[in-house]
Amino acid sequence: METLQPSDSALISLYIAGKEEAFAHLLERHKARVFTTIMLIVRDEDVADDLLQDTFIKAIHTMKSGRYNEEGKFSSWICRIAHNLAIDFFRREKRSPLLNLDTTSHAFNSLSHAEEGVESALTREETYAQLRELIQDLPTAQKEVLIMRHYGDMSFQEIADATGVSINTALGRMRYALINLRKKMAVQPIPYDQNLTQREPAPVRVQRIAS
Amino acid sequence: MIKTLPNENLLRYVYNELPVEEQHEVEQALVHDPELATACADLLLAQRTLNALASKPSARSVEAILQYSRNFMRSA
Repeated sequence: METLQPSDSALISLYIAGKEEAFAHLLERHKARVFTTIMLIVRDEDVADDLLQDTFIKAIHTMKSGRYNEEGKFSSWICRIAHNLAIDFFRREKRSPLLNLDTTSHAFNSLSHAEEGVESALTREETYAQLRELIQDLPTAQKEVLIMRHYGDMSFQEIADATGVSINTALGRMRYALINLRKKMAVQPIPYDQNLTQREPAPVRVQRIAS
Repeated sequence: MIKTLPNENLLRYVYNELPVEEQHEVEQALVHDPELATACADLLLAQRTLNALASKPSARSVEAILQYSRNFMRSA
């Protein structure tokens, strides 16, 4: 039977009341999402680690000083802080952008390699590095929506509010982000996973991927 | 190929943002419209591909945050 997990709101209340372990739960629950959001912008693990710390330190200060606003989702709030810090960093470093050529580093080793050979593991990592580069090349507004929605767990309405556009504009940007990713992947085919590439219309496949 | 790409409602559907009634409408449409179903499948596959990029911070970084929080609690 699945154990009922405390909500983010409950954990925040406990943390503010002095239960330190509640914060550890919050961090465990959101660290990967926040880190990925940062990583896709700054593209450097060490910088992303530093910015992750800055993000949660800001959150700690806000929660412990009683300034945390309960209205929104914690996940959206923390990812918005992370996104802003990453963008600030990126702007500061724009003259000398980071370029991490080590595509085999641990950041994209999220899948287990225990059951696959070294060669296929490397191909997989190259594929992910390539996909990450394609995301980097998206127009800024599209990249922003894609990262906030897919990795930041923000709803399209929350993204619209955070970026000062209508929900239809946010949805349109996401749609064009996916269209552009497809186009780029058609020009620069990715060897391992063809999920985003263009192809001839195929028979209905909803059943196949439903599991 | 553009015609098989997701429309905005389909995007909200796969990200679980539609109200229940509209979810049912989309599901009905998926049954009767193979092209829409293909677009939906493409989008779900794209989600899966994007999910694979998710990464984790270092243990050192996580411990540093926890340490900061513990010290903050003491000094507060």
